[in-house]
Amino acid sequence: MAVDRPKSHRLAEHGLQSERLLWPGKGPSEFEQELGDIESQLGLTTLEKAIAWSQTRSMWPDTFGLACCAIEMMSIVSSRYDIARFGMEAFRSSPRQADLLIISGRVAQKMAAPIKQIYDQMLEPKWVIAMGACASSGGMFNNYAVVQSVDKIIPVDIYVPGCPPRPEALMEGIIRLHERVQAGVPSAYEVGGVAK
Amino acid sequence: MAFEGLPGLVETREAFGETTLVVDPARLVEACMSLRDEHGFEMLIDIAATDYLGWGAPGVSGYIGTATGRNLNRPMTQGLQALPAPKPKRFSLNYHLLAIQQGAPRVRVQVWLDDGEAVPSVVSVWPGADWFEREAWDMMGIPVEGHPHPERLLMDEDWEGHPLRKDYPLGGEPVRFSGEE
Amino acid sequence: MPVARPPATNDPIYDGTRIPSPIPTVLEVDRAIRDTDDILTVNFGPNHPSTHGVLRLIVDLDGEVVVGLHAKVGYVHTGFEKNMEQKSWWKAITYAPRIDYLAYQNNELVFVLAIEKLLGLEVPAKATWMRMLLSELNRIHSHLVWLATGALELGAISMFWYAFREREMILDLSELVTGYRMHTRYFQTGGLAEDIPPGFYPECRKFVEWMPKAIVDYDALLRKNEIWEDRTRGLGLLNRADAIALGQSGPVLRASGVDWDLRRDDPYLFYDRVNFRVPVLPHGDTYDRYRVRIEEMRASVEIVEQCLDRLERLEGEPWIADDRKVVLPPREELHTSMESLIHHFKIVTEGYSVPEGEVYVAVESARGELGCYIVSDGGPRPWRVKFRAPSFAALAATATTVQGAYIADLIAIVGSLDTLMGEVDR
Repeated sequence: MAVDRPKSHRLAEHGLQSERLLWPGKGPSEFEQELGDIESQLGLTTLEKAIAWSQTRSMWPDTFGLACCAIEMMSIVSSRYDIARFGMEAFRSSPRQADLLIISGRVAQKMAAPIKQIYDQMLEPKWVIAMGACASSGGMFNNYAVVQSVDKIIPVDIYVPGCPPRPEALMEGIIRLHERVQAGVPSAYEVGGVAK
Repeated sequence: MAFEGLPGLVETREAFGETTLVVDPARLVEACMSLRDEHGFEMLIDIAATDYLGWGAPGVSGYIGTATGRNLNRPMTQGLQALPAPKPKRFSLNYHLLAIQQGAPRVRVQVWLDDGEAVPSVVSVWPGADWFEREAWDMMGIPVEGHPHPERLLMDEDWEGHPLRKDYPLGGEPVRFSGEE
Repeated sequence: MPVARPPATNDPIYDGTRIPSPIPTVLEVDRAIRDTDDILTVNFGPNHPSTHGVLRLIVDLDGEVVVGLHAKVGYVHTGFEKNMEQKSWWKAITYAPRIDYLAYQNNELVFVLAIEKLLGLEVPAKATWMRMLLSELNRIHSHLVWLATGALELGAISMFWYAFREREMILDLSELVTGYRMHTRYFQTGGLAEDIPPGFYPECRKFVEWMPKAIVDYDALLRKNEIWEDRTRGLGLLNRADAIALGQSGPVLRASGVDWDLRRDDPYLFYDRVNFRVPVLPHGDTYDRYRVRIEEMRASVEIVEQCLDRLERLEGEPWIADDRKVVLPPREELHTSMESLIHHFKIVTEGYSVPEGEVYVAVESARGELGCYIVSDGGPRPWRVKFRAPSFAALAATATTVQGAYIADLIAIVGSLDTLMGEVDR
């Protein structure tokens, strides 16, 4: 399965594959270049790279649909957008078995406590994607009832904008998360932030 | 449909093709029973509460323009503010009813209430009124007498205040714009 | 003392109410059982694998049988109504589709119809036909997602991929017309936001030809499937009188034997000019609700086809009303006409003013009667907007329908009521 990869890009030099490198001519994105810059400071060992590789290849999300974004999250499981090619079609119902929490939808004040409970029940390593405008920032609902961004409650790794984001946009967020993990960037809870 | 004999009927209004029956709150249950049994309005569709605090006062709901507004659909009203008709009390509770019959007759039963004035529960007339009345209590603070389970429905149990009232702030966070730095 | 399961037969609906008293939404544990130690209280928390949203059910179980139920909602309460009071009429339309986020077009439709009723605005025929077409496509969309997730909850997992295949087709059509997959914001006061783009009609025709074959596929998977029938027949019984007393509407009402459809009985848009079937079934069980929705999908396809026939003849007609006090003038006019410039300015900054009054408008959404009650004070902003959600009433029927059911059937029954928490909580 030999793919000709340009050897000039740092991630590739270190043996990590980004999906984008499978598309020749696409070139590294700014994000990857940034990752390349800090990567030399992180210094991953081969074992850590292998662990990171396997973490990204089967990162199971939790079935956490709140509102409209949940419908678009369901459609990434469908055959057109097919998240099974990333090994993620196994949406776990129990947070104990899940790696990824995709907060899809607006977070009401009443729901804040269950979200924190569910996040706490997940086992490390765990990642959070705030999907949609409401989870990222409160969206169009700047009022008494909606928590203005879920990162007030739990630490978030990736924010996916949109109302609702297209399934491709959510997959882009997931792929970026994979790239982050493979580059060795620690999860948001390790970096510190709102909650632990 | 003729509603003259309805117990507690104060006024009948027709507007936009809809009939509104203003009913005395003390005789609400009787009126609803009569509507259900004699007039055939067997389905309660909705109970909607409205807060009229600040009705007709300029500047209540405007950042541009005023609550009274100038009716752009009626020419030559510029300079003359069309004030809306004043309301009898602060809250109105509207019961929308439907008869499962030819022509789908609908009627709105309206009661007017002050702050804190209770309204009798119509759960005995239409069991489906249960959650609607709880929502009226939760969102508008209209106490319902005789409701078997008067608890907050949409907000947390220990929430203070009634969010949909006009004197309850919208809340949320102030948004910082980068141009203001 | 286990409660006997209702018989899975084709007997007609019995008399007598099954609404638990004194409150229809709470099933209280029977006193005789409550004092024993056999009751297990389980919390079906807001995080549900069955994706109809964040519903919390506190269920009391005697063994495997449900003897008590208490539904708690509010976990996605967004404060729509308060937000809409702060925006102009035009901007408030953006909030509407997010209330019932699966049948989003119907929310926009009902809000816009209510504003137009207060304004007394006449909408051109092309816009009305297109509104009908999109609403019916949206009904099919909602039923497809319901079918996919409902079957998924019961274990018929492959249904999900079949239904989402057609759902993607509908979203492609939506994107072709409006630019968005969901929450399209295409309905404007007075008509449509933009003209129908060329190339839509052939694509829609393709969909209309394909969809009935897809429904045949779904039937092949589920309809005569012994496991599906065993899991849905005779369960979640809701008789005719109870359904009316609880304010049910839509497929739940029609599956209980009440022949009531707002599109036919209280027509709005141009539903009185098209022929369509209204499926009604007598038993009021989960299987009937499933059959009613499948048949509704077929009927919707017929309506879409008839709308297409009419729309293809209305090429070049206006798509929005001509009332410049409410509708933006076309941009070319802004260069030449002073009045258009002033109208544009007033409508964009202050917003159009809606005459004083209160109206209630109802449409037949995919879930039932979706109503919008608006109060206007004559100004550029709504004074009060209330959406009457059909799922709000459907949840009231939960306690009635799950009496005596097993816990596995609870999921099937609550799924068959097709509730959507976004519109319950608003």
